[in-house]
Amino acid sequence: MAILPGIGKGDDEPKSDLRALRERRQNRFRILVCIDGSEASYDGLRFAEKIGTSDDCDIILLYVRPIDQGLRTGGLQVRVARENMLEWGLELPGIRYLKRGLDMLAGEDGLSSHWTTIASHTDSWGDPLGDNKVEYRHENGKSIVLKLKTAPDIASGVLDQYELGPYNLIIMGEPSHWHSEARSFFGASVAQKVAMLAPCSVLLARPHENGEGRGHMICVDGTRHSLEAMRREAVLAYHCGEPVTVLCVARHHADVPTAKRVLEKSTEMIAKMEIGFADALVRVGEPAAEIVRAGSGFSVISVADSGKKLIRRLFTGGIAFRVMGAANTSVLNVR
Amino acid sequence: MATVSLVTDSLRSYRPEDIRTHRVRRRSYQRWRLVRSQIDFYYFWEKRWFFIALAIGAAMMAMPQPEGLTREGQIVLTMSVVAVILFVTEPVPLPTVALLIIVGQVLLLGIESTTVAKTLMTDSVLFIMGSLMLAVAVVKQNLDIRIAWLIVRITGTKTTRICFGISAVSGVLASFVGEHTVAAMMLPVGITLISLTSDDPKEVRRLAAVLLFSISYGCSVAGIGTPSGGARNAIMIGYWKEFFFDPLNPETQKFLIDYVTWILYAYPVFLIQLPFVTLILNWTFRPEYQRLSRSVAKLRLKIQEQGPMKPADWLAIFIFALILVGWITLSGDTGLGTVAVLGAAIFLITGLVRWEEINSGVNWGVILLYAAAISLGVQMKDSGAAQWIAESFLKLMTPLGAEQGVGLWAAVSALTTLVTNTMSNGAAVAVLGPIVLKMAVVAGESPIVLGFITAISSAFAYLTVVGTPACTIVYASGYLKTTDFLVVGWRMVVMSTIIMMLAATFYWPLLGS
Repeated sequence: MAILPGIGKGDDEPKSDLRALRERRQNRFRILVCIDGSEASYDGLRFAEKIGTSDDCDIILLYVRPIDQGLRTGGLQVRVARENMLEWGLELPGIRYLKRGLDMLAGEDGLSSHWTTIASHTDSWGDPLGDNKVEYRHENGKSIVLKLKTAPDIASGVLDQYELGPYNLIIMGEPSHWHSEARSFFGASVAQKVAMLAPCSVLLARPHENGEGRGHMICVDGTRHSLEAMRREAVLAYHCGEPVTVLCVARHHADVPTAKRVLEKSTEMIAKMEIGFADALVRVGEPAAEIVRAGSGFSVISVADSGKKLIRRLFTGGIAFRVMGAANTSVLNVR
Repeated sequence: MATVSLVTDSLRSYRPEDIRTHRVRRRSYQRWRLVRSQIDFYYFWEKRWFFIALAIGAAMMAMPQPEGLTREGQIVLTMSVVAVILFVTEPVPLPTVALLIIVGQVLLLGIESTTVAKTLMTDSVLFIMGSLMLAVAVVKQNLDIRIAWLIVRITGTKTTRICFGISAVSGVLASFVGEHTVAAMMLPVGITLISLTSDDPKEVRRLAAVLLFSISYGCSVAGIGTPSGGARNAIMIGYWKEFFFDPLNPETQKFLIDYVTWILYAYPVFLIQLPFVTLILNWTFRPEYQRLSRSVAKLRLKIQEQGPMKPADWLAIFIFALILVGWITLSGDTGLGTVAVLGAAIFLITGLVRWEEINSGVNWGVILLYAAAISLGVQMKDSGAAQWIAESFLKLMTPLGAEQGVGLWAAVSALTTLVTNTMSNGAAVAVLGPIVLKMAVVAGESPIVLGFITAISSAFAYLTVVGTPACTIVYASGYLKTTDFLVVGWRMVVMSTIIMMLAATFYWPLLGS
């Protein structure tokens, strides 16, 4: 494996170069996996690994470190301790977590000689460590990137990284807590903040209780938006080698015939793409609760970002967000 | 076989520059999100404690003047309450609190700005500044690996002994150079021993806790050992002098606590705690490995790579020894601060440390913060606010039988422990010091005893990551959880409090306090 330190200009590149870089990246399927050292975040990486077998897919592992608070260390900046650790040749926690992620992707044999390494550094927030990036690039164009980023808070760091992207999918581990729409005004978990504000699709990865689930369950409500989201998610499921099940929830028994028509239309669309599907389900009741119940046996529940109007949304909350918070399996919010 | 492409047919990415227009085109909920992010309503929630503190301050100022408290005292009390809320909740950068204290003294108390400026720079503040510069200089000498080797040469490879060795050596060093310095130096030692034992953090989870807490708690219990062990000690020495020393009254000479006198009072308390630190840590965590032979062997290789001690290493040790002698012999006449600043200057002159390293390694905001807190403490005394709080506190304690003696000591210790776990220990002593010293006078207790109880109890911040500098630094290793601090911290608090109370009851009277 060749190592080319300092060749990549990383995120320092001039704006025109950055634009060209983004154009090139439009031709790749880019997954941003947020790693924080927890097992939940590595569950997300396992999901990325499944999608990432394709050559046109890049995986970016991101660890965001909040800026040090020197005041809490009695006036001696934490950077002095960090610099001392680096002088000892020790790895800071973020580097350790990212390396574990790389080991998971590389497998037991490690990366072969077909991969080259490009390292780059960017000063950030006056921090001596700043932002660091190591890119492992395969001859066929596939990339695995380890990114250690400094930011005022973790959610801002993840969203800021998107600006340097773009990305097709952000994957995060299961959040410690998930607030209701109203309570999220007064502080939300990192995953919830990212899920709310990220422009691209977001997957909250949760380990499945019984190991592998029964594939992807895609929820549709008959709107053009949800059918488009279903079409795109079905492609993703196909690339992961997972069977697709489509679900439509009718609020009342009287709506069941409409739901069935929506399912017919959905299965036709999937069939046209020559993607096989496992099942089509209709449930009756409150949509979020029914989706969570029906999806518990699947490895991923896929929900399109809600199309509810503002006021109704504020009072009742969004279906996609309620499913993300309440499900016991992974949830993909498709945008 | 489907011909769909992952890139073009699956989940879409949006170019960042298109996000705004794209979002506006998206449905109303997304528009709401965009508007919400522009309004930044969250700002008010994030800063809520700032506004709450201001509201409480305004309410306290508008309240009728309590009996026995002057108008100035009421203003100072209000400023102190607001400052404490801001210290604990940190809604704004802490140096901002210092700036507000300065402005408040001029605008609310009507004190001349030059007078306020003069109260900001005392020998205690000079000492804090000098010792922080020394801290960076000492860490930069890279003597840590040699210290680590010295420890394992004495202790052997048994985990318990190594932990005791780390606590003892960290403690002895921290008692002279400050806990943050030693924690920064010893952190790589601890992590090296952990990572050389196993690469998998799960396999060494409890070993990591024992080793890293040996560093942090070893430093924390030692920070009270000498005046140079921490800013809080210098602050208390400054308060004793400010509150009780009268150059015309020889009897008040005893309130000029010099370096050696402090050591006589506090060092035994640190030494007695040391073995208990190791016992508590091993009892709580029970490390997975009883011996660290593998990592000690690798550490030996590392020291061999470094070769023998260089002249610069010996020079750094010699300079530090000089500073120590200066503190012991000269600080009575010149003050602790002058010696600390002189030591930093010598390190710079000899080229052992660069100014840029000091400049980036010291958080200058802390010096401003302590300066303002001490200045406010002096105003608490002058305005009579400290006396009023002391009398009110004692009235509250009377029904509990804690208005004097051991009961009062225990109450003061509990109050200080509570406060120090929520803010920096220096700030805790700066805020509580004037009140406690006045309380001693009102209750007929020795201000020296109550002052030591406050200063020493401020080191009992074992419960939280932000409690002491050493805890914050070892937490940066990534091996510890916040809950670990609670699990072991309460045991440490109980042990330290008992030992301090025994010292106050049986040992300090022998010193004539």
